[in-house]
Amino acid sequence: MRDVTLSELERLGTDASDSEDTFQMDEDAFRLFYERTARPVWAYLSRMSGDPRLADDLLQEAYYRFLRANAAHESDAHRRNYLFRIATNLVRDLRRRPRVDEVRLANGGEATDHADPQSADVANGAIRRVDLARSMARLKPRERDLLWLAYAQGSSHKEIAGTLGLKTASIKLLLFRARRRLAGLLREGGR
Amino acid sequence: MIGPRRGARTLPLDGARGRQASVECSREADVFEAVAFGRWPEHCADLVAHVSTCAMCADLVIVSRALQDDRESLCREAQLPAAGMVWWRATIRARADAARTATQPISVLQGIAGACIVGGAAGLATVAWQSIHWVDRLGDLAVRLASRRADIASASAFAAGHGLPILLAIAAGLVLAPLALYITLADD
Repeated sequence: MRDVTLSELERLGTDASDSEDTFQMDEDAFRLFYERTARPVWAYLSRMSGDPRLADDLLQEAYYRFLRANAAHESDAHRRNYLFRIATNLVRDLRRRPRVDEVRLANGGEATDHADPQSADVANGAIRRVDLARSMARLKPRERDLLWLAYAQGSSHKEIAGTLGLKTASIKLLLFRARRRLAGLLREGGR
Repeated sequence: MIGPRRGARTLPLDGARGRQASVECSREADVFEAVAFGRWPEHCADLVAHVSTCAMCADLVIVSRALQDDRESLCREAQLPAAGMVWWRATIRARADAARTATQPISVLQGIAGACIVGGAAGLATVAWQSIHWVDRLGDLAVRLASRRADIASASAFAAGHGLPILLAIAAGLVLAPLALYITLADD
């Protein structure tokens, strides 16, 4: 198969301005949607992958797949859930690769990178985040997804089921077990 | 917003012995709301009292506070590309993908054409190789013709007598046949 050359890419770039027909969503609508969703999605990708740098790439990929899907959505919430489903699938694909995410999660070092050592509050917050990162690393991937969507993202059981491809009726029990496990780990200090 | 319904919910954990364990407290939704909207613990004394006696809600408070703090911090730290940049990259990539998809059949045809050329060349080489043997056979034919010179001389005399009409007939056929073919196809 023939590769697309650099000159062709440049030509494509110049044509990008009149690319309204490429995606179903227009650029202004995308900007609004992006402004509302990018930070929560990045936070989700960052915590689930355990690597903020990787989350940057996954974010771009998630929005690309979202735009390419050209799917019609009945509401903004539905659109947002669809984006989270794409993000979840990306993280799942990542987990099938070598166990980089586990190592990164176990380190949980990103929190301390941004902490100001002068401030006791910031330091305590950083410690709590390291504890959380370590505790999350000890959970099953599905438990991490469930807990984040339910308690960080505030998604309903139905939305979680749609995002993770589970039955709505099973979410309650799965959440209960995951929550009990994470609470136990947090009480132990993530050790 | 996550919202467990009011009333106790139980699910079987050990069916063989008929034991059931509750997986939901009726005040979970209130507790979660208080944490999510920043009312915990200052503005909800009754919930604080409840949580001190409810293990499930105590777990909920620990987990939801930790996760929401983490989410807030991550959202603060996030250094996101501009929406326009994400859009532009997506557009370029979509077009590159489309171009790649469009050129795929052309590449396949080019491959087939290449294979045909190679096959044709191989066929020609085979024919050329065989024609070398034909040269040897032509030599044998010349020897045989020399031995039957008298028969050939009589046939040549006949051709010299009627040669012109035969040649004219062949030439007319060569000119008219393609013309007839063209007219037939043009009518279609």
